[in-house]
Amino acid sequence: MGLSLSAIAMLIFGSVILYGGLAYFLYRAYKTKEK
Amino acid sequence: MVDNIAKKEYWNSRFAFVMAAIGSAVGLGNVWRFPYVCYENGGGAFLIPYFVALFTAGIPLMILEFSVGHWARSAPPKAFKKIGRKWEWAGWWAVLVPFVIALYYVVVMAWCFSYMIYSLDLRWGSQADVFFKNFLGDTGTPTILGSISIPVVLGLLVIWLFVFLILYKGVHRIGKIVAITVPLPTILLIILTIRGLTLPGAIEGISYYLTPNFSRLTDVNVWLAAYAQVFFSLGVAQGIMMTYASFLKKKSDITNNAFIISLADAGTSFLAGFTVFSVVGYLAASQGVGITELGIGGPTLTFITYPTAISLLPVAASFFGMIFYVALLTFGIDSAFSMVEPMVSGIHGKWRISKAKATGFMCIIGFFISLVFATGGGLHWLDIVDHFIANFGLVMIGLVECLILGWMYTLSKLREHANETSEIQIGRWWDYLIKYVIPFVLFLLLAIAIIDNIINPYLGYPWWVIVLGGVIPCLAIFLLSFVFMKIKKHEEAT
Repeated sequence: MGLSLSAIAMLIFGSVILYGGLAYFLYRAYKTKEK
Repeated sequence: MVDNIAKKEYWNSRFAFVMAAIGSAVGLGNVWRFPYVCYENGGGAFLIPYFVALFTAGIPLMILEFSVGHWARSAPPKAFKKIGRKWEWAGWWAVLVPFVIALYYVVVMAWCFSYMIYSLDLRWGSQADVFFKNFLGDTGTPTILGSISIPVVLGLLVIWLFVFLILYKGVHRIGKIVAITVPLPTILLIILTIRGLTLPGAIEGISYYLTPNFSRLTDVNVWLAAYAQVFFSLGVAQGIMMTYASFLKKKSDITNNAFIISLADAGTSFLAGFTVFSVVGYLAASQGVGITELGIGGPTLTFITYPTAISLLPVAASFFGMIFYVALLTFGIDSAFSMVEPMVSGIHGKWRISKAKATGFMCIIGFFISLVFATGGGLHWLDIVDHFIANFGLVMIGLVECLILGWMYTLSKLREHANETSEIQIGRWWDYLIKYVIPFVLFLLLAIAIIDNIINPYLGYPWWVIVLGGVIPCLAIFLLSFVFMKIKKHEEAT
């Protein structure tokens, strides 16, 4: 048995919001430091 | 006895502050609470209310606490005094509650410490549940204290000693420690997750964790569970974030840091779900039982289910057992000392007692009180005190904090203060969240907890146990905060 499509969708949703969001705010912090 | 001039301390760098705050927020709860709460409240669908709660309550509250700490440049008691002299008690309340939490939090860490050693020869054998009860000397009831568990006492000594050694030299040392203790457990968690995902039955476990049940989103309790999870996990309303922000230099970003720290905390919880459910899925497949029959939250997960699964691993079981408990210990130590630091900073700030002496004093008191939880009935007392402190103490502080800062003070000043030094500008929406949305949710959580505890006394314990373990600690903290406010500060005393 593999993961259902809806579970995969929630996995992508959670990852994008959490890790994508974290990467975005870290990038902004890095950019501010460079200025 | 007394320092002549208290020198203002600062973080070594922005990195040190962010790491310390992440270390404080990420703790045992990320591993043993979030995955379970997520599974219980709609699986993957729970992520929707969780993110709503994170962005409408968790992050705004963190911005609020950072703003107050940074603006006042002092620990919560003095910070609230700057808001208004009569509010100093609220600051003491906010630092006393995490100290009380630390008293039993270190006990769980002491268990982890012993289990880290037991991992070497998988001493729990095939009956981890029996081993855990014997290890604690569990009497099965809070009404019989029984004897003190020597391994737990030794663990307590080690943990309190670590807390002292990390804190007594101030935030410079914290900055150096968290550079190791924050990334290390995250790396270990990733290793455990990769191992877990390669085990038979892991995908079935992950399915339980992530398969969404969207019909649960119509249940108001699911939304309240999401707000409660965010609230407890981020470490807000405990005076910690306010204290940490008071050590920031004048031109420090507030808002972006709050986003980074909150998302890192939530991201660790999400990752921990894979660590837990992959191994639980493996255990269920190995034993031929349903996942729902296994304990997947709290101490049961950590000291019974997980060790059982570790014992069944075909290769390097001791190694994976060891890194699981090292991960928990390193996750926990940052949270543990961050719960003691606000109290130490409060005492240091008001009575000018040196940080080393204040830390030593609090650690010694802490050690002796913790011994109550190292007895045979300690597990039950720990559970009772935690239930009441978390559901009433923390929620009430959050509520009082929002009411004082939102309604008794010009909140826009704090917003302007955050905007002055932050790259991301916050608008008036933040004011509305602090003044209306968050207090409303916290009030609902509090009201439901009160009604629920009146109708169904916690776990059916006798009334005097509830009073002794729940009502008295909460009342004592509340009254002590007024006592501390009334005791004259150093300048007045001399």
